[in-house]
Amino acid sequence: MLGKGGKRKFDEHEDGLEGKIVSPSDGPSKVSYTLQRQTIFNISLMKLYNHRPLTEPSLQKTVLINNMLRRIQEELKQEGSLRPVFPASSQPADSLSDSYREAPAPLSHPASPSAHPCDLGSTTPLEACLTPASLLEDDDDTFCTSPAMPPAAPARVSPPALPPEKDSFSSALDEIEELCPTSTSTEATTVAATDSPKGDSSESSLQKPEGLQEGRPDDSKLMDSLPGNFEITTSTGFLTDLTLDDILFADIDTSMYDFDPCTSTSGTASKMAPVSADDLLKTLAPYSSQPVAPSQPFKMDLTELDHIMEVLVGS
Amino acid sequence: MLADIISTVEFNHTGELLATGDKGGRVVIFQREQESKNQVHRRGEYNVYSTFQSHEPEFDYLKSLEIEEKINKIRWLPQQNAAYFLLSTNDKTVKLWKVSERDKRPEGYNLKDEEGRLRDPATITTLRVPVLRPMDLMVEATPRRVFANAHTYHINSISVNSDYETYMSADDLRINLWNFEITNQSFNIVDIKPANMEELTEVITAAEFHPHHCNTFVYSSSKGTIRLCDMRASALCDRHTKFFEEPEDPSNRSFFSEIISSISDVKFSHSGRYIMTRDYLTVKVWDLNMENRPIETYQVHDYLRSKLCSLYENDCIFDKFECVWNGSDSVIMTGSYNNFFRMFDRNTKRDVTLEASRENSKPRAILKPRKVCVGGKRRKDEISVDSLDFSKKILHTAWHPSENIIAVAATNNLYIFQDKVN
Repeated sequence: MLGKGGKRKFDEHEDGLEGKIVSPSDGPSKVSYTLQRQTIFNISLMKLYNHRPLTEPSLQKTVLINNMLRRIQEELKQEGSLRPVFPASSQPADSLSDSYREAPAPLSHPASPSAHPCDLGSTTPLEACLTPASLLEDDDDTFCTSPAMPPAAPARVSPPALPPEKDSFSSALDEIEELCPTSTSTEATTVAATDSPKGDSSESSLQKPEGLQEGRPDDSKLMDSLPGNFEITTSTGFLTDLTLDDILFADIDTSMYDFDPCTSTSGTASKMAPVSADDLLKTLAPYSSQPVAPSQPFKMDLTELDHIMEVLVGS
Repeated sequence: MLADIISTVEFNHTGELLATGDKGGRVVIFQREQESKNQVHRRGEYNVYSTFQSHEPEFDYLKSLEIEEKINKIRWLPQQNAAYFLLSTNDKTVKLWKVSERDKRPEGYNLKDEEGRLRDPATITTLRVPVLRPMDLMVEATPRRVFANAHTYHINSISVNSDYETYMSADDLRINLWNFEITNQSFNIVDIKPANMEELTEVITAAEFHPHHCNTFVYSSSKGTIRLCDMRASALCDRHTKFFEEPEDPSNRSFFSEIISSISDVKFSHSGRYIMTRDYLTVKVWDLNMENRPIETYQVHDYLRSKLCSLYENDCIFDKFECVWNGSDSVIMTGSYNNFFRMFDRNTKRDVTLEASRENSKPRAILKPRKVCVGGKRRKDEISVDSLDFSKKILHTAWHPSENIIAVAATNNLYIFQDKVN
């Protein structure tokens, strides 16, 4: 699904992946695992909230998705309780952007982890990831659960609890800027200046991510507001303290949206509809007034996200 | 037309009739032609016998939600007289339909003329007895009972008891027992709703009565477990008599382990000795006497195991495939994607993949086995996993109770295949 080149092999890490149990200490595999987990988490959230059916949603589906989210949150909570200092991103955007510029080049380069979205994890832990699920699946270590984390595991790449003094939201914006210097900087600064046409929601969404990122025992916030309105629809109840814009806002890494050659040249008309960035944009597009052009990913900008948040949360 | 998507298929107890229900709330019944000595090669084909609108869309004003008219299940009652009876259900309401033939009608009423208009009494000078005269065969379906307002959640199963007096309907959290004659009340025999809905982690996915023991039934769950209950033990069968669960295979664990273990269908064998369950990737046969693991496991489309995240994202992982036994319980059948369906012979351990498609299905053409290629090299006739069409799913199939005739529903087309042996 990642282009027609030779199959990428994750050779150098394969021995760690035998039996499909990922050892938490295995660096890049752990990253991959965390990435996968975050992707699934995001997909699950979107499933619960993007769906406005005319008929009652299936209770079975809702329960299964909720169980998935709970499991992931349990894991995050466990990791959170073990977690150590979080390294400041010493390998900043440069190598990250390098790796993305490299990627469109020979995809047949098998050993290059640079083409691998896992790399996101090493420098921008978990600010990834509306990663196309299909990309993750090409990975040899198919989605796996690690058993209970041994306490010794440094778990470097757990959810973004950046040092409190750092305003992680603006640092995320910085990173985004570095990656997409042209389109995003203006928008980023616009939003940063809270000068958005959507007024309230963007302001609140600005403040909340900061509060959120401040320390991810906000996982506990998530835990508390665990689901539930099974009775009626699933539109309310899952995350009450936190609004959705925190999660979606904080986690969007537009570097993936720039990854155009990758998603567009995945020639094989795979009928499985992999979650390409395109698809994600299209999912969100109905809520926005402008058509979303895949070639300008970040046109689907922050103000439109506000609008979407309003629709999802406010209604 | 979306309304034509077939949502359930069921042969009656003799195999003479085949009923289908669709997303538009319609039921279409096919009848097998009587085999005539004149036309030996027309081996009893199925023709449309009756069509009627079983359920209409409704609106739940309290929740501001539509109630779909889609027919979730049809179950036939055994035939006791000239008429046929079946149960059909949507998400909320079960209905008992009587399907009967009329080939004669009375003529010669005294007070009404042939068009049904009242005659002027002054013109009536003689008394006559109406007589029955033949007419063109008419098949009419009439709703005889409506069993409503008993389910808060969506009905996923109905099952007629072997006593032929009662039946059960199961939704996500509860199972109710009905008497055919009584529509305004039902017994609740299973209730797994937690006091606090936030604690809900498991739902009922399917339920069925034992074919011979009218006190015994099973129900399956979204966590891959099956519970067998005995109604003689207590009125509320919340405590199971037997609990079937296979321990998880640690080497196959993934984020999606729970979801793919959710059982989408459970069926007793005709003998009553086994149950068959379908989860996302496998079909399993369980011996009622062994609770800790199935006696047989068949891989339906294991090549999907590495695609689970995409299938989760596009919701395919929630597709509910059904499974069926053949008349002698020696072969089991279930559907897959790309209009493929699979049959497993329990004795020879051979399996085959077939495709229900227009191109392959000229009358009396022999179905060619298909194969999905998972490795690198694709052979000529094989299809690669990435080329599978996931919108073409075969969820509903049925097997004639005694002969090798199968009905396969592929979206909005019904395929009937017969064994060419005789």
